[in-house]
Amino acid sequence: MAEELVLDTAIRDWVLIPLSVVMVLIGVLRYFVSKLMRSPAASPSPDPKLVREGSVIYSSSLPPIPSRSVPRQVVIRARNLRTNVQFIPAKAFKARKAYYTNEENGLLHVPKEDAQKAQAAMFSDPNMAMDMMKKNLSMIVPQTLTFAWVNFFFSGFVAAKIPFPLTQRFRGMLQNGIDLSTVDVSYVSSRSWYFLNLFGLRGLFSLILGEENATDDAQKMMQMGGGFGFNPTMSLGAEKDSLVIIQHDWALPKMERHAEDVLRKLLKK
Amino acid sequence: MAAAGGVSSDDVPILQAENLTSNVKSIYYSRTFLSIIGGVVAGIWGFTGLMGFVFYFLIMMVASIGLLAKSKFSVQTYFDSWNRILIEGVFGGLMSFVLFWSYPLMMI
Repeated sequence: MAEELVLDTAIRDWVLIPLSVVMVLIGVLRYFVSKLMRSPAASPSPDPKLVREGSVIYSSSLPPIPSRSVPRQVVIRARNLRTNVQFIPAKAFKARKAYYTNEENGLLHVPKEDAQKAQAAMFSDPNMAMDMMKKNLSMIVPQTLTFAWVNFFFSGFVAAKIPFPLTQRFRGMLQNGIDLSTVDVSYVSSRSWYFLNLFGLRGLFSLILGEENATDDAQKMMQMGGGFGFNPTMSLGAEKDSLVIIQHDWALPKMERHAEDVLRKLLKK
Repeated sequence: MAAAGGVSSDDVPILQAENLTSNVKSIYYSRTFLSIIGGVVAGIWGFTGLMGFVFYFLIMMVASIGLLAKSKFSVQTYFDSWNRILIEGVFGGLMSFVLFWSYPLMMI
């Protein structure tokens, strides 16, 4: 282990503190900018209540190719069926299952050529691509700018020391930008300090900016199913499979006993 | 926290997804908050090395106990599994902890 390095306090005052403050402020700024960019683009989305209930609005003006929101709502409906399956009788469940998973005209069944058409329609939909791009831009541009700024001003020196020892393997990660093999690994270069900030401040942002935080968008996108929006074919297929394999177990016959238990418990109180 | 559901005597879980998500979210917020505050405290107390991580996991354990008390010791009423209380957000908060742990150490 190398001997202790003494870090100049000027580094602390002129590198670490500005860097951290700038990163926090940029995070806040990005949040508001993305909010601004999103609000006019908020297309007349369907009534949130309707979406939650999962009822599909099949209007006569609907193009033959299912619009972007319809397959998603079918998936939501199927999922609702799957989670609440124990509350309907076996016969009702069978009927619904046939309705959804029928090989010829079930709701979740997507013919091959149709799938491709839908995909193409989605890609050619300029509105959606625009939306995606805005979101990505609001993520990437500030990050690139900050990284370039850090690289330009603060490259090539040891900036901080993290309070725990690490093995040599971490050298590339923590001492990005300095090529000294004798410095202890727990000393961090400024560029790596930037990365540490980038990941560590995520929690702070979610606290100070509330839930719909711009940094969470990446996560949300992943949950929605892939970068370029939501792939209707794939999620429909997955939902169909899980609906097919589900075990039906009707809960209501046991409900009487459950109700008895609850009432007895109430009586005891 | 809102009750996400009750569990009947037979194993028919009745969960309300929205309440569950809001509960999980509140766990996440409390964990994040604790990891930041814990990081600052660990830095001020001058923990280094393994000691800091021990401190972090101790805090997280205390948080789990606190959450357990908050849910009146009936986890099944509020969450779908024990893992929610025990490990939800622990590793996500670690990065924030490390960052806020090294801040005060450099300031002093």
